[in-house]
Amino acid sequence: MMLAQYSTGIFPSPKINPRERALEWPLLIAMVALMVIGAIFIYSASTATDPTSRLYLRQIFFYVVGVVAAAVLCLVDYATIARWATVFYWATILLLAAVFVVGTKRFGATRWIDLGFFQFQPSEFAKLAFIVMQANYLSRPIEELRSPGVFLRSLGLTLLPFVLILKEPDLGSALLFFPMGLVMMFVAGTPPKFLLRFLSGAGLLIILLLVDILFAPPRWQIKLEDYQRHRLLVYFGKDFAQRDATPAERQRARELQRQKSYNVDQALISVGSGGLTGKGWRQGTQNSLGYLPRAVAHNDFIFSVIAEEKGFLGSVTVLTLYGLVLFIGIKIAGQARDRLGKLLAVGVVTLVFSHVFINIGMNIRLMPVTGIPLPLLSYGGSSVLCSLIAIGILQNVHIYRRSY
Amino acid sequence: MLVFDQLRRADQQLRWLSVLVLVGLGILLAGLWYVQVAVSQRYQKSLDVQTFRTVRVPAPRGRIVDRQGALLAENQPKFQVNLYLEDLREQFKFEYTNSVRKQFLAANPGRVTREQSVAMQGQARYQVVSNLVWQVSSRILGTPLILNARVFARHYVDTLALPLPIINNLTAEQVAVFMERCGDLPGVDLEVQPLRNYPNGSTAVHVLGYLQREDEIPDRDEVVYRYRLPDFVGKAGVEGAFDAELRGEAGVKSIQVNNIGYRMREDQQAPEVGQDLQLTLDVGLQKAAENALRMSGPETRGAAVVVDVRNGDVLAMASSPSFNPNSFLGTISVEENNRLNDPKLTPYINRALYGAYAPGSVFKIVVSLAAFEAGNLDPAKTYYNQGFAMVGRRRIKDTAPEGNYDFKEAFKYSCNSYFIEHGLTVGAQRLIEMGHVFGFGQKTGVVSPKQERAGYFPKTGLPQKKDGTTWMDGDTANLSIGQGEIVITPLQAAMMTAAIANGGTVFKPRLVRSLRGALELGSNGIDSVPSGVVRSLIPVKQEHLQHIRRAMLADVEETGGTGMNSFVPGMRVCGKTGTAQVLREGNVLDHVTWFVSFAPFESPRYAVVVMVESGASGGATCAPKAREIYKAILAKEQKQGQGWALAGGGIP
Repeated sequence: MMLAQYSTGIFPSPKINPRERALEWPLLIAMVALMVIGAIFIYSASTATDPTSRLYLRQIFFYVVGVVAAAVLCLVDYATIARWATVFYWATILLLAAVFVVGTKRFGATRWIDLGFFQFQPSEFAKLAFIVMQANYLSRPIEELRSPGVFLRSLGLTLLPFVLILKEPDLGSALLFFPMGLVMMFVAGTPPKFLLRFLSGAGLLIILLLVDILFAPPRWQIKLEDYQRHRLLVYFGKDFAQRDATPAERQRARELQRQKSYNVDQALISVGSGGLTGKGWRQGTQNSLGYLPRAVAHNDFIFSVIAEEKGFLGSVTVLTLYGLVLFIGIKIAGQARDRLGKLLAVGVVTLVFSHVFINIGMNIRLMPVTGIPLPLLSYGGSSVLCSLIAIGILQNVHIYRRSY
Repeated sequence: MLVFDQLRRADQQLRWLSVLVLVGLGILLAGLWYVQVAVSQRYQKSLDVQTFRTVRVPAPRGRIVDRQGALLAENQPKFQVNLYLEDLREQFKFEYTNSVRKQFLAANPGRVTREQSVAMQGQARYQVVSNLVWQVSSRILGTPLILNARVFARHYVDTLALPLPIINNLTAEQVAVFMERCGDLPGVDLEVQPLRNYPNGSTAVHVLGYLQREDEIPDRDEVVYRYRLPDFVGKAGVEGAFDAELRGEAGVKSIQVNNIGYRMREDQQAPEVGQDLQLTLDVGLQKAAENALRMSGPETRGAAVVVDVRNGDVLAMASSPSFNPNSFLGTISVEENNRLNDPKLTPYINRALYGAYAPGSVFKIVVSLAAFEAGNLDPAKTYYNQGFAMVGRRRIKDTAPEGNYDFKEAFKYSCNSYFIEHGLTVGAQRLIEMGHVFGFGQKTGVVSPKQERAGYFPKTGLPQKKDGTTWMDGDTANLSIGQGEIVITPLQAAMMTAAIANGGTVFKPRLVRSLRGALELGSNGIDSVPSGVVRSLIPVKQEHLQHIRRAMLADVEETGGTGMNSFVPGMRVCGKTGTAQVLREGNVLDHVTWFVSFAPFESPRYAVVVMVESGASGGATCAPKAREIYKAILAKEQKQGQGWALAGGGIP
């Protein structure tokens, strides 16, 4: 109705009604709630082992920076931003490449560029740039999308960051580009048969790969990074030792297995022992006694801390907030004024959903351990900034849904 | 609703996306529900297992006191210096970074492997701890102790949650030195543990029993303990019989440990102190009885029992040889161990309860009673003793000289033929019935059936022999002089004597007076174990008992009496001696000598029974020991009045 009024020009000058341009408030509230929870539990997780820790303050600082960035983003129509898509995309590709030259190595992977006060993680920003690039590329007439060339080029856009991030190595983050790329193609209108063909091909490849890693004798196995192989073995509950291993090797393999599955085991114990109502804020022992490793408690495994201290009710609260963000995102996608807006929103929804599913799934052993952070809850500047900018994109699509 | 609006959308792709998100969140929700609600217990258990170390903390044992409240067994604080490793973690880290690793890197530049780092951390810990041990021990003991690296390594791996004991059994002076000079040392603290102590050493050891370190884990515990602090279990005596009551309830210390195993926090469910136990014994009399037994040598094998004839309270129960119960709490020397296991000395055995012997002439008291009851004993009628008795073709020697004997004379000289004659007249059946009145062949039920022997006595009815052969007159004759088909314990003899003295009441002996929890201390007056429980009454007239009592008095006071050695000026003692042969295949192997007695004659209060194995005779060996005991009783009465044994006394 309103749309009709605008288009028929009942109002002489279609001045933008401030109420119409308003933010999507429920989304904002869910976002703020997640940030509050994040700050509270990063405080709990970090000060339990080190009372002088100021990590939560850093996190709050990034929240503020992120919110400001998102707000600034909302000042400009997403269509304007999308014009710079190619620049953003290739800039982040360059940064991803630069990581190999000037990156800092932590935990055996080169993912960060040291900016002194801030360890910059290009792969996080690459996800955003990819969404904008992909949305921009796919927002073309539906007939063009039916051509295999466009599909392949779109696939290429997905593969480039995937390969670079895989090399860091960060398999988890790299694999995230596939759900984002494919869902966006699907929503854009790429014929499902292309997607199915690709999916069945990729699926076959993955199955072969897994069979190879899990069951093949060592000489036939594809060379994976040791830690990747170990994580997969842990996930599938396979014995580390080779079948023909000597007792000594078996012994060492078992010890290694104990070490490698330690994080997951401890995360499960944390989550499970939380029970229905949890042990209370800062009362979780898994973290304070050091069973949950200090290095991961406040970032990759922050959900364990929340689940232990607030129980199933806490977990449900967190899930509900994410559900709110995701469905509002889908609603925004549906109300977007054009395919670009819709695809941007869909990209963000897929990004957030993948992170949430993989991270929480990892805490309850549904998913293998990867370094995928939980949006807004996990400690980490790059992750927080990207999550907030992503939600800013949603707001942007919402705000400019009817400005022509 | 937001979700369903999305699902109803016309835009098909977005609808699929909604379904995907909904299913994804649903899977997470189901997974979380499973982990946090459905099988939450499992993870809670894993958490408890990895986070808590339960330690069993034994309760302080209840005290044991004598009838007047004097301590027989108590707990003394045992001081131990402990090292709490969790307080030293900073030092470990400092030692590692500033000393051990630095030295290593100076010698081997380059990277430190994980294995090297682990080994060096262990070395750093050992350096810190051994240095502390050196300092503490040189301050307290004057001589430094060297910490064994392997002992420390094992402690670190196995029992990290518990403190590391450094010095045990500190003296009071060493405790003072510790307080004064060790306050500046980190992680060092004093721990106090209760340790059993028997202040009177070997006194009453057979009644008290002793403790042994509990080695095997009893399966009565419900809680599964990760660690157990040393506990002691009562063996023998009341420590054994009342172990459960004395021991109390063990406490549980639950130590929360961090991922490395260091103690972070601990909760304790305090142990419940065991109940105190009051015995009917009197320490003074007990010591007198034990000293009397040892008059003729420390390894005298014998027993002495003092009973209050008015209620059956056991005032003293001595057995010799004895041992020191304190020695079981430490280490025992080889010599002591050999002595304890000597098959002849058997110091462990409480001979008063667990030794069964032929009563010899002491049994003549029962023969007299049976004859009186049957009505065929006239105390005035004389009997001619020809120096021996003939039973069938067997000739039984008589120690009493040839001549005419009335009852009193026969009793005084312990004339065998007189009592054999009366025994045969009365018949075995009635003798046995009278013996059953005194409970021969049955346990008295004084403490615990396991610690007592019933002795042996034929069953009532047609007399039957133990070995199944036919009962002959010879067996009756033998029984009449306390030989053959009878063995009794000194306690049974004492209860019999007490019954003669008190006018015919056979009491159940009482050794434990009260059992009380710590809360009720001082609120005494009523004993929890009743006094004066009657077992049976002797079915004879008082005048007949009076004849026996007079005869027993004559045995001590008149010339020629066998018990003259027990004469005590100031207390009229009545007694009967006994010397029984220990036979094997017809040969005399040994003698058991007895003296059963009571005093004073006018109003009997005490029965004293002394039994000595391999003695010369009842009169020569046992009566003098009884005299020493009566002297002690007399002294006690002079000090505390005649009613001392009936006065209430509480647990202090």
